[in-house]
Amino acid sequence: MIGAAIKKDVRLLLRDRGALISLFALPIIFMIVFGSIFKVGGGGSGRDIDVPIQFADGDRRGEQIVRTLDEAPGFTPVRVSAADEVRARVASEGARAGLVVPPAGPIELVIDLSAPLQVRAPVEQSLTAHVIRALFPLAAEMTSVVQSKSPPGLAAPVETPSSFQLTVPGNAVLFGFFIALTTAMAFLGERKTGTWRRLLAAPVRRSTALLATLVPYFLVGCCQLAFLFGVGVLAFGMKVAGSVVALIVLSLAVVWCAVALGLLFASVASTEKQLGGIGSVVLLVMGMLGGAMIPRIAMPPFMKSLGLGIPHSWALDGYYAVLVREGTGLADVAPSVFALFAFGVGFAALGLALFKFE
Amino acid sequence: MLSVRGLGKDYGARTAVKALDLEVARGECVGLLGPNGAGKTTAISMICGVVTRTRGSVAIAGHDLATAPFAAKARLGLVPQDLAIYEELTPVENLEFFGALYGLDRARLQARIAAVLDVVGLSDRAGEPARRFSGGMKRRLNLAAGLLHEPELLILDEPTVGVDPQSRNRIFETVKRLHGSGTTIIYTSHYMEEVEELCDRVAIIDGGAIIADGAIADLVAKHTGRGVELELAGDVEAAVARVTPLGEVTRTGSAIRVVPHGALAPVIAAIEEGGASITRIESHEANLEAVFLALTGHELRDER
Repeated sequence: MIGAAIKKDVRLLLRDRGALISLFALPIIFMIVFGSIFKVGGGGSGRDIDVPIQFADGDRRGEQIVRTLDEAPGFTPVRVSAADEVRARVASEGARAGLVVPPAGPIELVIDLSAPLQVRAPVEQSLTAHVIRALFPLAAEMTSVVQSKSPPGLAAPVETPSSFQLTVPGNAVLFGFFIALTTAMAFLGERKTGTWRRLLAAPVRRSTALLATLVPYFLVGCCQLAFLFGVGVLAFGMKVAGSVVALIVLSLAVVWCAVALGLLFASVASTEKQLGGIGSVVLLVMGMLGGAMIPRIAMPPFMKSLGLGIPHSWALDGYYAVLVREGTGLADVAPSVFALFAFGVGFAALGLALFKFE
Repeated sequence: MLSVRGLGKDYGARTAVKALDLEVARGECVGLLGPNGAGKTTAISMICGVVTRTRGSVAIAGHDLATAPFAAKARLGLVPQDLAIYEELTPVENLEFFGALYGLDRARLQARIAAVLDVVGLSDRAGEPARRFSGGMKRRLNLAAGLLHEPELLILDEPTVGVDPQSRNRIFETVKRLHGSGTTIIYTSHYMEEVEELCDRVAIIDGGAIIADGAIADLVAKHTGRGVELELAGDVEAAVARVTPLGEVTRTGSAIRVVPHGALAPVIAAIEEGGASITRIESHEANLEAVFLALTGHELRDER
């Protein structure tokens, strides 16, 4: 009977263009948009930032800076003839930053100082560091005074991670949890059309009737995450630094949690309108607090601790580890898997307690 | 075939069904009538196991719904009033799913799907999504889903409501044929002529209890008589006072309905003696509608 329910729900889903778009197409669009927004300083599959630079012919400082930038990842120097051209390009947002190298005196780093610090600082600091390294060869040695290292217990990150290492799992979690809405909509639809009555009048257990609606959407959720991560790897060059088994187990835990949340939604919502409105907002807020849109590491401490009460955070912590840190295994994502499983049990228990069969 | 004893349902302090007793013999067709809010749908839902009963028992073909729910439900077919179908699926896809609920194996399921689609006249539209169908065609598919597993007891809740005459006729004829072939049927409808033509027996439910149960002819004989409706002019009050000792009188404005104890002539004479004149006179056949009106105080069709 569950097999027949899966077949039926897959048929219904394949004929529901809206659901297909929101489950499969929309996340890809978000991945592309967010991936492009967060692309800073190059790396991975990201394109280099063009840096217009002006200096007089034969200027040794200018030539040295161009050589250094050519070797540095993330920046491509583009020589222009006039200083004003550098300034005009930055002012018209044709370039994010530029350099004007006079024959003597300080070098002008042309950048929009009114831009938000989060956007400006990485480019500004990185370019400054390259200029210093170019002009003061000793500075290269000085960098050995400070050496960046992950603390013990954290594996080394994947080499040259692209912005998609963040945006693919972020959006996969955000939209993966939307299967909760689809599941709840399916329950409300069954009730609205009366097919739920027909199901209850048939010689099947009530628990089977419930599973007949939950299991198909669990499988759809699994397919959705497989599709999103598959596109992430094949189209966006996302790397899986850790174990694929850990990625699969973590994804199963995410889908379980989302479908259980769907049962809870179905138990408390009485109309599709109510569900569509409130459910979407709840999921978006959960996604935001959970770090699906902005990494939690960039959040203030209070928001960070708030995120621990949201399954999205645990899911993303697990995904970031398995996607970014070399050698991450099942044991490393176990806390996330366990937390997601526990959240799912909680949602399911509450959903069952409130679920109205009749 | 169906034995319902002391069946009741409370929703908190409100009692939807008090204590329902109903026995339906194998092959019988029983009309279940009642005004809206009488407890009819709740009673049907309890019999089907869709709603949990507060008290009483239901047995279908000897299988108690509480102790042997699967055996009881396997013998029951429900055609709900709502269109309980998936409109995005084709009739075949709908029936494949509903058939699986009853554990029909693949070969039998395919044979039954072909058979029921033929019965309801949808064989030529079997591969088309149901959303493209007219209301009547959807109702026919709704009926087909209830017939798929060849139930011994078929419960039809308003199966012809709101459909075009062609579909209504098709559905009604199908139900008649099923009854003819020995299927036990419980039929609810607001179309009195359907109930009169199809049902051997009628149970009228009101206020959460069955207030009348019997063969249509017996109920008509017991609860109504031949009567006349008279439109009066003049002193209607005085006329009614004079006529009351001569029969059962119901007044609606300037019209009175009289079921005389004896002959009609003394009634007419009494009206004229009372100072009223008769402007219209209409003879009434005693029928199920009159029984329903007499027992519930409502006209059946007005309840829609």
